[in-house]
Amino acid sequence: MRIAYNSPFIPPELLAAHGAEPLRLVPAPEAGDASAAPVMGTCPFARAVAGAVIASDGLAAAVLAATCDQTRRAAEWAHLHAKVPVFRMHVPATWQTPAAARAYLDELRRLARFLVRLGGQAADADRLWSVMERYDADRAAVRAAAGRALPEARGGVPVAVVGGPVMRGHERVFEAVAEAGGRVVLNATETGLRTLPTPFDRRRRSGDDPWLALVDAYFGGIADVFQRPDGRLMDALVHDAADAGARGIILWRYVWCDLWAALAERLREAAGVPVLALDVAADAASLRQAAGRIQAFLEVLR
Amino acid sequence: MTERPQRVPMADLDALCAARPAARGAASGPAAPAYVGPLARHVREGDRRLLHLEYDASPAGLRLWSFLLTEEDRLHAARAAGKTIVGAMKDLGTVPVMAYALPDVVAFYVDGAWWTPCLMELEEGLLRLADAVGLGDALCPVRAVVGAFLNRRHFPIPDLLVSSAGAVCDDFSAVAQRLESLGFPILWWEVPGRRRADAGEPAVALPTGFEAPASQVALVRSELERVRQALAEAAGADLTDARLAAGIRRANRVRAVLDRLRLLAYTAEPCPMPALEMLIAEMLAIHFCSDQAEAEAVLADLLAEVERRAAAGNGVLQPGAVRVFWVNPVADLRAMNVLEDCGGRLCGTEFLFCHALDPIPEDVPPMEALARTALGDPMVGPSADRAERIVRDARRFGAEAVVVSRIPGASHCALEGAVIGEVVRRRLGLPVVEVEVPTVADAVLPGVRTRLEALVEAALHRRNA
Repeated sequence: MRIAYNSPFIPPELLAAHGAEPLRLVPAPEAGDASAAPVMGTCPFARAVAGAVIASDGLAAAVLAATCDQTRRAAEWAHLHAKVPVFRMHVPATWQTPAAARAYLDELRRLARFLVRLGGQAADADRLWSVMERYDADRAAVRAAAGRALPEARGGVPVAVVGGPVMRGHERVFEAVAEAGGRVVLNATETGLRTLPTPFDRRRRSGDDPWLALVDAYFGGIADVFQRPDGRLMDALVHDAADAGARGIILWRYVWCDLWAALAERLREAAGVPVLALDVAADAASLRQAAGRIQAFLEVLR
Repeated sequence: MTERPQRVPMADLDALCAARPAARGAASGPAAPAYVGPLARHVREGDRRLLHLEYDASPAGLRLWSFLLTEEDRLHAARAAGKTIVGAMKDLGTVPVMAYALPDVVAFYVDGAWWTPCLMELEEGLLRLADAVGLGDALCPVRAVVGAFLNRRHFPIPDLLVSSAGAVCDDFSAVAQRLESLGFPILWWEVPGRRRADAGEPAVALPTGFEAPASQVALVRSELERVRQALAEAAGADLTDARLAAGIRRANRVRAVLDRLRLLAYTAEPCPMPALEMLIAEMLAIHFCSDQAEAEAVLADLLAEVERRAAAGNGVLQPGAVRVFWVNPVADLRAMNVLEDCGGRLCGTEFLFCHALDPIPEDVPPMEALARTALGDPMVGPSADRAERIVRDARRFGAEAVVVSRIPGASHCALEGAVIGEVVRRRLGLPVVEVEVPTVADAVLPGVRTRLEALVEAALHRRNA
């Protein structure tokens, strides 16, 4: 039972514990064509996710989190046009109240019921913990590998890349940094390390309840641009970029993404280092243009 | 004075103003309220767009415009009088009902500043100020709000800012967050993306005709409890259930008058009230233009005018104008005149806030009623739900065509417009056209006009087939 999902706020271990094979959707931009959704005004990433779900033939379902207006509407678009069931999940924007955490927990439980209805197996606490710990260990390995990689890197102007998701094929942005004489010391994009949940801790307030541990790690642990207020994200970006020794910040976002667009100026004010705000469309020319701007940015930083 | 109702330029409306009774209690008839005056005074203050609009030539229309354009004066007077000023943001219709339930509290939507650049034809610089703090034209014109806070020339800075978050448009969410970062604290409350109840899950019918799981209503109710507490603290008075219930009744009185006005204005033949005035009238429902009692009186006056015209068979347009249902508000008010210039007339709207027009339930506890109303917001649910509501209302008012007006840069417009167009065409078989109306639309009006004319022609062809 292969289930695609689109957001770091959807715990893949929850899907796996219910017998699903989770597939994180990081499509290529051209996947959006299958959506037949309007190009103008639609976030290329949201459009590509919708297209990937609509065109897929090996999925049992898709779980699409609505973390912003664009993803919410793209999820509806996929729901209206896809052949497979689409579970639309609301992730609260407020995060400082018990009610918001409870609402996220309710959505996780609703997702679990959806998976069971789909033919998955109900997961008791032991099973859920066991899968969660396996995923937690995998993430710890990813973090450790990323940590080891940093001291080994030599030369180049250290820069942080922060922002929204980076679609398949658009990892070229990281190559562009290296080609221009830079070195990425922090990948705080949505598809980078920034959105890994915090490690599970059975001794924390969640005690032995795996559901509460999921809420703590994901909803409580990931700071993102749609959250209100978003001070936690701003603090993390500024702190992590400084901690990594970044001499400049590249803010990566797709066109029509208002949330990251509005953050750029604040990042400039707070970071104390130059910020290059990119806005990238789905076409190759746009990516080439972004690479050119990165080259110029690094020339300035050198 | 209005034997043959018509649309007139501002100078003619001001001439009508000069001929009105001079003071309350004058022997010549009931006098207009003190705020009523010539629109030229607002042009002198910079509202130059008024020179390029056409108006309903009636005392009721003049009162409506005067009421709208003097709102900032009322807000400053409220501040001077020591009243608590609440800046509501985004939810469009619910928080002001709560605020006006308290004594000496005035609430308004700061979102309304999005029309300031239109009215002042961009001379006020609000969008430039927004640009300067990183809110460029990729965002919708609501970014003008930040400019208005920064230059402090439009409305007094509210004592409390309250904004919904969650299932809201990205533009406003980004703008509000920027505002907070500039030193204007905001109370954020969560409104979840409305969904249908799953099998076996208790569901609640919402006033707008949608449905939501009881758990979502409970979430919104608990969030509004936080708002209630903040309002009470700001006002220094308890916001009791009794006060809320009375506040809901008052809001419903306004909505009831507006409902009668809409029904008659959108169905009588020939069209008894221009589209522009109806747009403004509907806007009064969301925060009462900072004076709830007067808003009701203004609407009642307008309704009386429409009733007189309908009874006499008089209209502002030629009989037979094509009946157009309009979706989304326009950033440039002039677009409403243009619709009529093209042979259309307004016969129904969904300006993003049908939940501010429908009555708030009075048969359930007030916080439950307000939660249901807030969750009934067409923008927090699926576009398909909103499209169904549009279908229902288009049928109710006998629409012959539908315009989906896009707001430049708005995060919801691209996919939402496509869904609405698809549903309306499939369910009603009506011609649908999308137009994009920027803040000052002069440069694109020929294109908008062409599209509207094509729509009208298609509707006439369908009518005569």
